[in-house]
Amino acid sequence: MKARTSLGGKFNLNDYVVYIGFAVIFVFFSITLFNRGFFTGGNLMNITQQTTMISVMAIGMTFTLSAGEIDLSIGSVVAISAMNTALLLRHTSVIVAFLGGICTGVVVGFINGLFVTRVRIPSFIVTLGMGAIAGGFARLITNLESVPVDNDTFNFIFGSGDIGPVSVLFIWTLVLLILGQIVLRKTAFGRYVLATGGNKVSAIYSGINTNRIKMAVLVLNGALASLAGILYTGRLHGARYTLGDADLLLVIAAVIIGGTSLFGGKGTVIGAIIGSLIMGMINNGLVLMGLNVSLQMIFRGVIIIASVSLSLREAKER
Amino acid sequence: MGNYILEMDEIRKSYDGVEVLHGVHFDLSAGEVHAIIGQNGAGKSTLMKILNGVTARDGGTIRIDDLEVNYSTPLEARKLGINMIFQEFSLVPSLTISQNVFLTKEPRRGALFLNDRECEARTAEILEEIGAEGLNPREYVKNLSIGSQQMVEIAKALSSESRIVIMDEPTASLSHAEIETFFRVIGRLTGKGISIIYVSHYLREIFKICGRITVLRDGSRIFTKRVADSNMEEAISAMLGRRMVEKRVRVRRQEGSGDPLLEVNNLSVGKLIRNLSFRLHRGEILGIAGLLGSGRSEIVSAIYGVMRKERGDILIEGKRVGIKSSRDAIRNAIAMVPEDRRRQGLIMSFSIRDNLIFPILRRIRKYLLVRDRKGTQIIREYMEKLSIKAAGPWQVVKSLSGGNQQRVVVAKSMMSNAKILFLDDPTFGIDIQSKQEIMNIVSEFADAGNGVVFISSELDEMASHCDRIIILRKGEIVDTLDCTKRADVSEELLARMIQ
Repeated sequence: MKARTSLGGKFNLNDYVVYIGFAVIFVFFSITLFNRGFFTGGNLMNITQQTTMISVMAIGMTFTLSAGEIDLSIGSVVAISAMNTALLLRHTSVIVAFLGGICTGVVVGFINGLFVTRVRIPSFIVTLGMGAIAGGFARLITNLESVPVDNDTFNFIFGSGDIGPVSVLFIWTLVLLILGQIVLRKTAFGRYVLATGGNKVSAIYSGINTNRIKMAVLVLNGALASLAGILYTGRLHGARYTLGDADLLLVIAAVIIGGTSLFGGKGTVIGAIIGSLIMGMINNGLVLMGLNVSLQMIFRGVIIIASVSLSLREAKER
Repeated sequence: MGNYILEMDEIRKSYDGVEVLHGVHFDLSAGEVHAIIGQNGAGKSTLMKILNGVTARDGGTIRIDDLEVNYSTPLEARKLGINMIFQEFSLVPSLTISQNVFLTKEPRRGALFLNDRECEARTAEILEEIGAEGLNPREYVKNLSIGSQQMVEIAKALSSESRIVIMDEPTASLSHAEIETFFRVIGRLTGKGISIIYVSHYLREIFKICGRITVLRDGSRIFTKRVADSNMEEAISAMLGRRMVEKRVRVRRQEGSGDPLLEVNNLSVGKLIRNLSFRLHRGEILGIAGLLGSGRSEIVSAIYGVMRKERGDILIEGKRVGIKSSRDAIRNAIAMVPEDRRRQGLIMSFSIRDNLIFPILRRIRKYLLVRDRKGTQIIREYMEKLSIKAAGPWQVVKSLSGGNQQRVVVAKSMMSNAKILFLDDPTFGIDIQSKQEIMNIVSEFADAGNGVVFISSELDEMASHCDRIIILRKGEIVDTLDCTKRADVSEELLARMIQ
């Protein structure tokens, strides 16, 4: 598949920076951390697994940012959806629990969308508030208790299983990547999303219902955050209110490093996945280097600011 | 000499090697209202920007009270008593009247603290001076009508010692009643010895309130006369110049028969447009001629569904249609080339292809997927038809010339298989060749049995291409010209009628 961030067909170095960056970091860690087992099949699969949830959310965020909006509630949506799914599993089937979990994010996304399109509050305020509300509910629902999940089918499908040598998480990533890329690139909906973010006024004059598009991306983003929550639950065999609470920054960083514009009109799902893998690799590398959690945090912050600065520099050139 | 408080002499200015002011002279006496008129591009704005210190002049002198002055910023101009009131108001909506009036020159108490009470008291004084004592200095500007905002804008100009106030198209967005009040304020200002430079397209107003009039054309002064010694005909001829009178180019090929293609009854939009009705027939190019602020854009925007209309029936081919959004309009075979191509017409960061794909998405879809190759093929056809000069469909529209960008917008409007096309100033700011080619395509479009509503600030273009022209003044249709029957429709006639 071709890696275009804008819909344009001409070669643009900026569109490929993320791949070069990915390769550079990969080679760097492979050499410097060779003795500590970075470049082993097990570790690489491990990175992919750890990155899956970030990747899933990054796909949703790619759509939202492309449409010129942002969703800061996803961290809490992960937690509340995970809790709901885990609780539902006590009484119902896997499929109902799964659907219940996804519905949680859909509802949150829908409420976000209503406030953005009807009340016209900027999405970063609405979703910040909704994030607090959803996070509060995630704590309230079991009074801070975590909920274990011992349903083997559920755990297998949503995170812990392997098919042959391949983790199900890898399959989830791959399927969603392909779907996301097709929807953004090859469907009318994808074009409308990019047009809405590219120039809302012109999109309206072109006959696009921009409110409906904003609503759709926020609902999609919520649904994918819920899926990430469900995958956390399956992988960890249980849910806790802390799930996803550090993910928001990583997701936004991954999407922007990937080449999606913070200001809308430009987006790439493949780039977002590569961006997620870069974040995953760096996390993994930092751990293998033996940096403690505090240092990892500092390092991550630096990387995020640096990468977003680069993307803004490009935006100014436009 | 010595009679003038301001004299500008031999003012020259070039942009990118092209001289736009060729040694212009302008003078102003105390307490005078002096009008500057001219067509778009005549050099009015540049001359005023030079006087206001926004733009640097390349040559010439400016004398105030017979003393030569040199300054290069609006702040320095203000110190010399020169203030400008802009067409688009420069007020901060979220601040109060008094905060706006004294912005950057707030009265202080000590070095640090603002003296709000004094600020409000002095604002009240100024408002009283100009007869706007009804305004509360503590009111927020965002709650004011346009007319009141204009008053605040004037108060702001008077808050520093003003001797010369430049007003750029000050009445364009005012209602009749507001204009009357505004004229009284101008009377008060001149009574105090303040001089006013009045830049406007509204000649009727100029002949009512100005003392002298200066006509600019193509960067040169044509004449300066006392209003009493001139008249509107003379002013219009001077503005337009003795250019080759363009003959009517278009020959209408399709005579409309049966139901009109588009019928608009009792359209009301905002305060300006009340119960306006008109019809557009098959094969017709219908012009709406009016000055800026006449409501010409509002009419088409409201029918197209991008501006709210209070009332109004729209019938297409005799059938009543409800249009609430541009989607509805497009569904009813209406397309529009909006006024502002960069903001409304195009997505500047997208390629030609990605701008043009929206109107045909439905046609090139198979199941849920967009068939790119088919789309590109159709887009190439239209690029050829409109002779869009580009490296290919992948070129980003931002990097195209204005003329080519406009061709993309026109292509976009035609690709939606519309039967009714609205063109809002489609040739503004583009090269002559693009203008002609776009007008030819529009003509062909009408000849195929479709209808076009055409708005333009270039009146010669309307005279030479429209089959019928509606004359619009402050939201009202005052006349309709049938250009196929009358031989005397010219730029000059239109310029006189829209006044």
